[in-house]
Amino acid sequence: MIAYIVRRILWIIPVLFTVSIITFFLMHAVPGGPWDRDKALPKATVDRLNAKYGLDDPVYVQYITWATKFVQGDLGPSYRYTDRTVNEIVADGFWTTVQLGVMAFILAVVVGVPLGIFAALGHNRGPDYLATSVSIVGIATPSFVLSILLIVFFAVQLGWFPTGGWKGPQYWVLPTIALAGFPIAIIARYTRASMLEVTRKDYIRTAHSKGLPGQSVVSRHMIRNALIPVITILGPTLAFLVTGSFIIERIFGIPGMGQFYITSISTRDYSLLMAMTMLYAFAVAFLNVVVDVLYAYIDPRIRYS
Amino acid sequence: MQKRLFGILASVAVIVAACGGATSSSAPPASAAAPGGSEAPAASATPVASAANLADQQILHIDLGQEPPTLDPDKAQDSTSISVLHGLNRGLVFFDKDLNIVPALAAKMPEISSDAKTLTFTLKDGLKYSNGDPILAKDFVYGIKRTLDPRLAAPYAYVLAEMEGANDLLALAGKDPAPSDADIQKLLDKVGISAPDDKTVVVKLATPAAYFLDVLALWIAVPVEESWITKPNATEAANYVSSGPFVLDKWAHNSQIVLKPNPNWSGDVKPTLTEIDMSMTTEPAQAQAAYEAGELDMVQTPSEDVTRVKADPTLGPQVVDLKQLGVTYYTFNNGIDPKTLKPFAKCADPKKCPTANKDFRIALTQAIDKKAFIDATFAGVGEPASSIVMPGIPGYQPDLDPYPFNLDQAKQHMTAALAALGVPDAASLGKLKFGFNSGAGHEPRVAFLAEAWKQAFGLQTEQIGSDFAVFLQQRTAGQYDLARDGWNADYPHANNQLGLFVCGGGNNDSQYCNPDFDALMKQAAAETDATKATALYNQAQTIVMNDAAVLPLRFQTVTYEVQPYVKGITSTPSDSQLPGDVFYETIQIEKH
Repeated sequence: MIAYIVRRILWIIPVLFTVSIITFFLMHAVPGGPWDRDKALPKATVDRLNAKYGLDDPVYVQYITWATKFVQGDLGPSYRYTDRTVNEIVADGFWTTVQLGVMAFILAVVVGVPLGIFAALGHNRGPDYLATSVSIVGIATPSFVLSILLIVFFAVQLGWFPTGGWKGPQYWVLPTIALAGFPIAIIARYTRASMLEVTRKDYIRTAHSKGLPGQSVVSRHMIRNALIPVITILGPTLAFLVTGSFIIERIFGIPGMGQFYITSISTRDYSLLMAMTMLYAFAVAFLNVVVDVLYAYIDPRIRYS
Repeated sequence: MQKRLFGILASVAVIVAACGGATSSSAPPASAAAPGGSEAPAASATPVASAANLADQQILHIDLGQEPPTLDPDKAQDSTSISVLHGLNRGLVFFDKDLNIVPALAAKMPEISSDAKTLTFTLKDGLKYSNGDPILAKDFVYGIKRTLDPRLAAPYAYVLAEMEGANDLLALAGKDPAPSDADIQKLLDKVGISAPDDKTVVVKLATPAAYFLDVLALWIAVPVEESWITKPNATEAANYVSSGPFVLDKWAHNSQIVLKPNPNWSGDVKPTLTEIDMSMTTEPAQAQAAYEAGELDMVQTPSEDVTRVKADPTLGPQVVDLKQLGVTYYTFNNGIDPKTLKPFAKCADPKKCPTANKDFRIALTQAIDKKAFIDATFAGVGEPASSIVMPGIPGYQPDLDPYPFNLDQAKQHMTAALAALGVPDAASLGKLKFGFNSGAGHEPRVAFLAEAWKQAFGLQTEQIGSDFAVFLQQRTAGQYDLARDGWNADYPHANNQLGLFVCGGGNNDSQYCNPDFDALMKQAAAETDATKATALYNQAQTIVMNDAAVLPLRFQTVTYEVQPYVKGITSTPSDSQLPGDVFYETIQIEKH
């Protein structure tokens, strides 16, 4: 088991290497550069800036420079926020984003899983229709619509929460709900489908027929088996949530790092863009390993060697 | 209330657009001064509150719209950074409310030598930075030289080009091999700025330049203490040393900046505000919601909210429309390859370059009802434009409108153009490439124009929305037939606007070249008599407009909402973010 985990973790390295190569060369293949403005800077100024940041070297040389520094933990200078390094920028927003992501993840699991179970137990009856409706609305409502609705009702009209910012617990509520909306719906649907599948299994009928109380069948036999597919999606969901959401952070004015996924591309802030891509790639790869390991704990049939 | 709700919901459309990746930071703002006595849009100042009426809490809540990329005065180039820097730093001279140049840290206006090439400034007595250190003449010298130092790579260094020795430093850019530190130092030593004693700054120019006092009022010409800026993290709040009315009290990145009054500020107007709280909301709809929830004291109204806000009984009276030195226009590709300064190779077949035909351009111009365009796509905010030099700049020509909206004449010109191009109808030209940057709200405007041309002539266009950087490159290279464009004045001078049309110029997005125009521009630049120079610029602009080189559409007005209790706002056409942000120190909060 330990050997398996170590092997899987080591595999993350070539994955990151491939991702970095593809991203780096794609990024430089796109026209434009970090010094583009609506009003063109004089050519001499652009030359001077390119020379200062080594952007006049061939792309492969730039890659080697970047990779060498990356391995040493230096993410490079930001071309947009010229007084700050990418390390500082990422460190500044990282914990805010992770905090928001983890809160949304917890909310999504705490609401989504019971909602799915509730729907499955009341299959094709009122509770199912109710829960299914909720989750379909959740999936169909983009997060920016949900965010604006939350702001309009709870911040502007009722005044219960601030419209945006990140200065204390009352600022956390609306963005957490907005960010969790979609994962709640997805998790609820997976849980429901998976529960329904389990309900028809022979061992559930056996459990019922040997006289176990309904509650104990549900909690000890059904839910545990039904959660395996759900856990599969929890890994990528967590990776998605803790690396931040451009939309939610933008709408609520949250000082996280999610916004940089988009802004670093449009401002051609190459080193920031690389840092964000590597971070996301690492989160996805690593959490997939975690999920695979979790399988083994939940399902005794799964064993790695 | 329901109306308001749907209004805010309408803003959602913009967010969708924004998710397409639009963070086009606009270029340098209009930040230099109008020469005295010009017909600049009247600067307005809201009445000052009487002392008895002042609120107990003098805190102003505003929004910057984004994190300022830098607060290093020598490196700043964007309107957000400059808006904050206006509060933090001052140079030898600054603007008054009418944008005339007045002494700031200098005791009086400089002595100017008879050849107009040497300016001698004397500092006020007892000047101190926020940290208590004295402000010395050598700090101005250091700041200017630092801006020019190629190792700093300051984007705005080029505005100092008129100084003695500055061009030699600017020319070092991109030199291979890179110049040695010793070589750079030698050139820096020759730059025309010196401090003969602690209180005297002498500036020497290579050529007389009447506008250079305006340059010295900019954010790049403030005193910079070497022992401060060379510290690591100098621009963080804990280390920041300011020479202006406010100090940087807090900078939580991507979240909040707090300014507090500078106890050592030497200016006559001491801030009444005890705090300016600046948030950084990148989503305009959220800033608007924050304003309506009472969290902000001023906000720039998102364009899709303007109609609703103006009609709202509460918000309507809070609206302030500010004219800005900006023009919205669309470019025609006039057919000159910027690389060779000769016609594009493909234009050997005139059908491939219809916009290089003057009649064709005139036809497209006369087919557009500019008032309807503004009403439909700018919520009616702004004035129809028929020139590039905007109102408020000496040389604005209100009567210049060679091709007003007239469909009959438009069709006649189109007939002449089609005959010259050798095609039976406009549809046979194929689809013209119509470029714009996507996700920045230009979609309805592009659609309006494309539809107007389709209805008038049956002309087909391919509307190409691209990422901002890609769009800029394609537009400069002349890969579109038609493209979105706009210009905000760097300084209120016709030379700045008309420079857009100089053959081979860096911002000549219309691929326009006319030797007569270029000759007039040279003549005007050399003319020392302001009235004669203006007449020459007028002649030059008339040539461009008669050629229908571009389609001017709208002189810009920006809509803001300001709470009625915010008093003492000194707004000028140079405001870079919000009304009165050049003079934060005059703002007061009334009891409310």
